[in-house]
Amino acid sequence: MSLISQSTAVIVMNVRSLPRRFWMSAAMVFASAVVVAILLAFLAMAKGFETTLQSAGSPDVAFFLRVSSGAELNSSMSNDQVNLLRNAPGIASDENGPLVSPELYVIVDGIKKSSQTKANIPLRGLGQQGIALRESFQLTQGRMFASGTNELIVGQSILNEFEGFELGSEIRSGKNSFTVVGIFTTGGNVFESELWADSRVIQNLYNRGSSYQSLRAKLTSPDNLEQIKAYIENDPRLNQDVQSEQSYFAEQGQGLSYMALFGRVISTIMALGALAGALNTMYTSVSDRSGEIATLRAIGFSHFSAFVGTMAEALVLAVIGGLVGSVAAFIFFDGLSAATLGGSFTQVVFQFELTTDLFIQGATLALIIGFLSGFFPAWRAARVPVIVAFQNGR
Amino acid sequence: MKDLYLIYKNLTRKKTRLFLTCFAIFIAFLIFGSITALKGALNSGVEMSADNRLITVNKINFTQPLPYSYVNKVKSIEGIKDVSHANWFGGFYQEPANQIVTMAVDPETYFTVYDDLVVPEEQLSQWKSNRRGVLVGERIAKTFNWQIGDTIPMSSNIFSNKDGTQTWQLQIDGIFRGENEKADTGYMVFHYKYFMETQTWGGDNIGWLIVTTTDASLNQQVSDAIDESFANSAAETETSTEAAFNKAFIEQIGNIGLIIFGVVFMAFFTILVVVGNTMVLAIRERTNEIAVLKTLGFSSPRIFKMILIESCMLSFIGGLLGLGAAFVIVQGASQELSRFLPNLVLDQSIVLQALGYMLLLGLVTGIVPAVRALRLNIISGFQGA
Repeated sequence: MSLISQSTAVIVMNVRSLPRRFWMSAAMVFASAVVVAILLAFLAMAKGFETTLQSAGSPDVAFFLRVSSGAELNSSMSNDQVNLLRNAPGIASDENGPLVSPELYVIVDGIKKSSQTKANIPLRGLGQQGIALRESFQLTQGRMFASGTNELIVGQSILNEFEGFELGSEIRSGKNSFTVVGIFTTGGNVFESELWADSRVIQNLYNRGSSYQSLRAKLTSPDNLEQIKAYIENDPRLNQDVQSEQSYFAEQGQGLSYMALFGRVISTIMALGALAGALNTMYTSVSDRSGEIATLRAIGFSHFSAFVGTMAEALVLAVIGGLVGSVAAFIFFDGLSAATLGGSFTQVVFQFELTTDLFIQGATLALIIGFLSGFFPAWRAARVPVIVAFQNGR
Repeated sequence: MKDLYLIYKNLTRKKTRLFLTCFAIFIAFLIFGSITALKGALNSGVEMSADNRLITVNKINFTQPLPYSYVNKVKSIEGIKDVSHANWFGGFYQEPANQIVTMAVDPETYFTVYDDLVVPEEQLSQWKSNRRGVLVGERIAKTFNWQIGDTIPMSSNIFSNKDGTQTWQLQIDGIFRGENEKADTGYMVFHYKYFMETQTWGGDNIGWLIVTTTDASLNQQVSDAIDESFANSAAETETSTEAAFNKAFIEQIGNIGLIIFGVVFMAFFTILVVVGNTMVLAIRERTNEIAVLKTLGFSSPRIFKMILIESCMLSFIGGLLGLGAAFVIVQGASQELSRFLPNLVLDQSIVLQALGYMLLLGLVTGIVPAVRALRLNIISGFQGA
C-alpha cells in the first residue's frame, strides 16, 4: 500500500472515531472558535473606524490648520489669514473665484440612543463651496439650510445613533435653537457624524467674530501642496500647516489602531491558553487510540501514516472551530454600529467591518493552533513502540 | 497525610497533562487579572470623586467657556463651601504627541476644593507667590524625571503666547500627590492670571467651576440654585456631581468598552469551560482505581473529599500563578502607561474575585466526578474498566 492510501485510510478512521471522544473534541472546537472570534471582533472594530475616517479624505483637497493644533477643534484662523490663503498658488477656481471653504467646528451635546447619555457632537459651520468640496454629499430628506438662518442639516449617522434629530425637530444649544431642515449622507464616512449649518450663523451665535477654524481648498493637482507650503512660509502673517485632506483623515483613522494591537495581544495570549487545551485533547485522542495505532503499525502501516492521521484530526477540529468562530463573529459583529470619541474630541459613528483580509487572518490563526496542537501528539503517535502502545490500549 | 500523598500522586500522574491544564488556567487568570485592573483604571475617576464636589460647565457643552464673573456670583449661594475654577490649556511637552493634561487654575482655591491632593506647605506658598510657577502631579513628574526648580517649556495646541510662540516657560515649584494611590496625578496646574495675561485672545473666560458643598446632602439643592441663577443668560450652566460628570465623560467612549470587556470575559469563561472539561474527563478515567480504593476500605466521603481537594488544588496552582503574573504585568504597565492610565492597580477586590472564580472552577470541575465516585458501586466500577 502506498503512503498516500495508508494515510488516507488512517485519516478517515480517525475522523470517524471523533464522536467517541465527543466532549474532548468539542472543547477543542469551542476553544479555537472563541479565539478566532475574539481576534476578528477587535480587528473588525479597528477596520471599521479606519474606513469611516479614511474614506472622508480627498487627495486633491488641501487642508489647513493652525500649526501644531492637530485637530479642527483646537485650530483657529482669522478672516485675514483666510483671505491670504485664498490667493495661494495651485488652488482651483470657477466663475465665483477660488474653490475654498473656511469652516468652523464647535461641539454641542446630543443624547445617545443606546445609553441615554450625553455625548459630544460636532456642529460644522460651512458655506455652499464647502458642500461642493464633499463630492459624495447627497440630501436624502428635506432641503439645504438657507444661508443666514438658524437652520441645519443632519448627517445620517447622527440621525441613527442620537435622539431628537428627525426632520423638523428643534435643537437647542444654550440660548440658541436650530431647526432641522434636511438629512444628508456622504457615503458612510465621518462627515455623516456631523451637523452642518451656515458658517456666518455659527460665527455669530458662538461669538467667533469673523474668525474660522480650518480651511479646505480644491487643488488643480495633488502635487501643488509643496508650492502652497512655500507660500505660507514666505508670509509671516500665516502660521498654518497644510496637508492633503486624505492624509489628515488617514492619521485620524489610526485612532483605534491600538484596538487592533490590543486585540492581537489578547488573542495571542488566548490562543496560548486554547493551545494548551487543544494539546490535551490531542494527547487524549492518541492515548484513546493507542490500541488502534499499535494494531495498524503491527500490520505494516508506516510511522508516517500514524503521524498524518493525528495531524489531520487536529487540523480538522481547529478548522471547524475557526469556521464556527468566523461565522459567529460575522453574525454578531459585522455591521455592528458603534460610536466613540474620535481625534477631534467628538463622536464618530462607525460600523464594524469584517473584510476578506480579516477572515484570512482568522483562518491562519486557526491553522496555527491546529498545526501546533497536532504536531507533538502526532509525533508521539508515530514514535510509540508497538508493544507499549498495546499495553496502554489494553 | 496519606490522603495528601495520594492526591499528589494523582495530580502528577501525567506530567504533560498537569502542565497543560495548569497553563490554560494560568492564562485565564492572567487575562482576568489584567483586564479587570484595566477596567478599574478606566472607571477610577468615578470611584475617586469626592461626594460633595460639583462641576459646573456651560450648558451647550463643556468645551464652551463661562464668564469669569460667575465665580463671584456662585460664592454667595447658600450651602457652598468653596469655589474654584479651571481652564483647559491643551498642553503638550516638546512634541504634539506628548500631550499632558494642563490646566490654568486659581492658585488660592484649587487645592482647597481638591483637598484630597497633598502638596507640602512650603511648596504651595512658593507656587502661590510665583506667577510663572507650576505644580506638577507626582506621576507626570516621575515620567519625565522633573525636579523642583526645573523650567519646562509647555506648548498649547489651542492658544498662542503674546511673545509669538505657542510655548510658555513654566517653573516647577512643587509636586502634588494623592492621598489615595488611585488618585489621578497625571496632570499639572499653573496660574490662571498669568495665562490670561499672556495668551493672545485675552478675555476673562473660565472653562468650568469646581464647587464644594458644606454637606453632600445639599448637592441637589446647590446645583439647582447655581443653574437657576444663570438661566436665560448668554451662558447657561449645567451643574452635576463630580462622579456624574466623570461617568458621563467615560461614557463618551461608548459601547466600545462594553464590547471589549464582554468579549474578553467571554474568553476567560471559555478557557475555564475547556479546562473544566479536561479536568472532569481526567478523573472519570480513574473509575477503575476508585473502585480499588473503595475495596481497600476507603470510605465514600473520604474519596469525595480527595477528589474535590485535587481539583481545587489544580485550579489554585494555575490560578494563583496567573494572578501573580497579572500582578507583575500590571505593576510594569502602570509605570510605563502612567501618563495615559494613571490608576492601573490590581487591588484587593480583584484578587478576591479571582480567588472566588478559582474556588468555583475547582468545585464545579470536582463535583461531577466526586459525586460519581461517592455513588460508585464497586462491582460496576470494575466492570467499566
